[in-house]
Amino acid sequence: MRQTRALALIVLLLALAAPLAAVAQEAYPSRPITLVAPFPPGGVADLTARPVAAALEKVLKNPIGVVNKTGAAGAVGMQFVATSKPDGYTLLLALSSISIIPEADKIFDRPPAFTVDQFVPIALISADPTILVVPADKPWKTAKDFIEDAKKRPGQISYSSSGIYGTLHMAMELLSHAAGIKLRHIPTPGAGPALTAILGGHVDALASGPAVVLPHIKSGKLRALAGWGDKRVAALPGVPTFKELGYPDAEFYIWAGVFAPKGTPEPILAKLREALKAAVAEPDFKAAMDKLETPIAFKQGADFQKFFDADARRLADGVRKVGRVEDKK
Amino acid sequence: MTTDRVAGIGLGLFGAVILEESWRSRLPLGSVAMPGPAYVPAVLAVALLVSGVIIAVQGAGAPRLGAVGWQEWRHAAAIVGVCAFMALAFERLGYRLTVAIACVLLLSLVERKAAVSALIFAASMAFGTYYLFDTLLRVQLPRGPFGF
Amino acid sequence: MVETLGNLAAGFSVALSPPILFYAFVGCLIGTLVGVLPGVGPLAGISLLLPATFGLDATRAIVMLAGIYYGAMYGGSTTSILMRIPGEAASVMTCIDGYAMARKGRGGAALSIAAVGSYIAGTVSIVGLMLLAPPLAAFALRFGPPEYTALYVLGLLVLAYMSSGSMLKSLAMAALGLLLGMIGIDQMTGYFRYAYGVVELGDGLGVVPVAVGLFGIAEILATAGQPTPPTVIKPKLRELLPSRQEWREANWPIWRGTVLGFFIGILPGSAHIISSFVSYAVEKRVSRRPEEFGHGAVAGVAGPESANNSATSGAMVPMLALGVPSGPIPAVMLAAIMVHGVAPGPLLIQQQPALFWGFIASMYVGNVMLLILNLPLVGLFVNILRVPYPYLYPAILVFATLGVYAVNNSVVDVWIMLATGLLGWVLRKLDFETAPIVLGVVLAPMIELSLRQSLAMSDGHYAIFLQRPIAATLLAVGAVLVLLNLYTFARRGLDWRSRLALAEKGEEA
Repeated sequence: MRQTRALALIVLLLALAAPLAAVAQEAYPSRPITLVAPFPPGGVADLTARPVAAALEKVLKNPIGVVNKTGAAGAVGMQFVATSKPDGYTLLLALSSISIIPEADKIFDRPPAFTVDQFVPIALISADPTILVVPADKPWKTAKDFIEDAKKRPGQISYSSSGIYGTLHMAMELLSHAAGIKLRHIPTPGAGPALTAILGGHVDALASGPAVVLPHIKSGKLRALAGWGDKRVAALPGVPTFKELGYPDAEFYIWAGVFAPKGTPEPILAKLREALKAAVAEPDFKAAMDKLETPIAFKQGADFQKFFDADARRLADGVRKVGRVEDKK
Repeated sequence: MTTDRVAGIGLGLFGAVILEESWRSRLPLGSVAMPGPAYVPAVLAVALLVSGVIIAVQGAGAPRLGAVGWQEWRHAAAIVGVCAFMALAFERLGYRLTVAIACVLLLSLVERKAAVSALIFAASMAFGTYYLFDTLLRVQLPRGPFGF
Repeated sequence: MVETLGNLAAGFSVALSPPILFYAFVGCLIGTLVGVLPGVGPLAGISLLLPATFGLDATRAIVMLAGIYYGAMYGGSTTSILMRIPGEAASVMTCIDGYAMARKGRGGAALSIAAVGSYIAGTVSIVGLMLLAPPLAAFALRFGPPEYTALYVLGLLVLAYMSSGSMLKSLAMAALGLLLGMIGIDQMTGYFRYAYGVVELGDGLGVVPVAVGLFGIAEILATAGQPTPPTVIKPKLRELLPSRQEWREANWPIWRGTVLGFFIGILPGSAHIISSFVSYAVEKRVSRRPEEFGHGAVAGVAGPESANNSATSGAMVPMLALGVPSGPIPAVMLAAIMVHGVAPGPLLIQQQPALFWGFIASMYVGNVMLLILNLPLVGLFVNILRVPYPYLYPAILVFATLGVYAVNNSVVDVWIMLATGLLGWVLRKLDFETAPIVLGVVLAPMIELSLRQSLAMSDGHYAIFLQRPIAATLLAVGAVLVLLNLYTFARRGLDWRSRLALAEKGEEA
């Protein structure tokens, strides 16, 4: 009698445990995934995040929601993902600023909002090389003219940016250090005001992603001098790269990549990598990125890690060299 | 102790605190030609301090502090408490549960309404607004531990 | 002119086609809803619905989003007038006189005037947009940091006119608001100011939580515990419409608000919410009975409501003519058309005439739709005043908390709303005006940034403000205004405000 009861108990326990075991090994994904875009809607990160989410949703056959967690140039959203559960249901679409923000925090002796090691890179989606534009009525016809003039008049040529230690600022800083020139930085609260400033002739130069300035170059208001990329921008074949001009250190991309919090289990990461690879090959995704005039530059795994590490090192160096702007006065 | 005196002292203190804070956090002041991050706040804090002092000094003609009528303070404190509860519980208990509890608290405890009407109100508020925002406006509202 | 009319006719044929009409209507409906809900403003509404537009074509997307934008300006007055809670940040000024009118039983009239004023402003400003977009945009571009600094300094003078009480108290409130606006990342140097490690404060307090807190929550805290709850107003149908006298009083403010709002809207980065603040101040200045303001002056509702509607059309000018966003909302709209492969830029009007003219025409249609939508709703909304206060205010609290949370998905915003609510309540008790604080929070970062940008441009020389024609002109205007005031002050002996304050004190004593 007792044995039967014990047997019944064991069977009961096993029966209860079985679904638990099944839950523990539940297939990923089984819940909606959140892709956090740490920038306001309408910006680069957001516009890249949505096609990515849509394509990924198709591949994984699982809903993926894009959530904008904005603030502090992306720090709020990035901190949110860094501290969230590493179960693969919270992902981050980050821009290159992910490497900049912790360095900037360090310079100011602040406890960093997050660190780069809190993330695991999954894949790179796009890497826009920045280009240098000047108002068309300025005398510089080539990058060489610009740099020479800057050498003659240090600190006189002004440029706008999307914010201090932001992507557009760092691009210019990398150039300044590579070419040994000193420029005057006018920060503005975003890429939009930076563009307005140069269109109004209030600043002399701007480093910008190609998509926003292309219409103005075509209409003749702005002139592109050179690019920070490895290769020439497809839409501007006549514009050389700084690398060609002899400044290989001036390499900067506004890239967007997908990250997960560190500690996410490896099988989930592998699945995500596969899914992203398939997602960027989706024709809808390609069409969406074409419309945004953003070339897809997919890298994953070791490739992305290498790219990311090199980029992070470059940016960290750049930020350290800039130091605290106030201290230079 | 007139209202103006209290307000003036309060404002003046706040200005002084800001000044001290800027000093302590070593935000660079910069110069008139190149104002640093602490420059404009310092100017404003001084303005606040000065105006606070003047208001306090001139404050004799204002009504007495007690005369203004603070009898609703208990009520206000309760409302603040419920709102604080909402802020704390929003992301932990989930939207609908938080709002329902808050409404019940407000209506039953603070407003002394019948329990039934409180519950009906709470339920319709919680679920109605959730539907409105989640379905129509596609806002992602937090779900609590019960998936709720 | 003939060409424009021809283009417009083509535009109407696009705008009146059923699918476009449908999306415009959806946009207007959602916009009204978003405007009525406290906290959630047009930016939040547009951002939330941006993904839904990806499946539509460019014209439909932009028509719907624009509908949300100007629709919100219609709806924002509703809660402001009926409950003294700003539906969105631009409706803050309507709270003051609109609510006073509602308490006097003229709530329906206030709502109607707001609706009609918004309609006139919306329609007239579209004419400006249509005819003058390219030259206006070129003019707007000439505004650089020094011009903005001069403009904002002028805006600060506006603060002096906004309050009814003592000048000193409103200065103190302005200083407080400006200080609160300093919280966040310093744009010029990257330092975090007064954020104490809370990353969410990096972008500052945010005008939405502050406005909802200072006006909405403070109002509830002050009223909920009163031994006699606010009288339930049972409006009769006849009382819903404004009297002839009220229409007369609303006439000129509407037109002034339209022109003012439009020009403020054109300037990129000028924060279109200040259009309602400036309009209020202007109305008060030119009014023959300035002491009415704060107690139910019709002009105090008509002016700001018209201004914030025409500011939305003004905001579209740089967006359409140059492809440059004049604020966060046009930026999202630009993104919406970029996603469909339409390249915004100076050539947009020429390359995409169907889009541009269809959009313009749909704005006309949208404004008519909103007028038809809102006027009957006046009768409906006014019944909110019948709900007994103990049931009404918890509902408002829920909506306010939800609205503020929904903007950024952030609980920190809710805490800010609560803290400013407490502050607003205490300040009301101590007889201080809270509107200057909101304006201060909005202006502070902008004025400081453009000042320091200008100095960076000129390498520290203040002369830049006098060297640039527009900036110098604006500063001269400001100086003239200040001198005029000092003159009147000296001449009359006492400002009407202090006379009024003295009279009030005399009554109390």
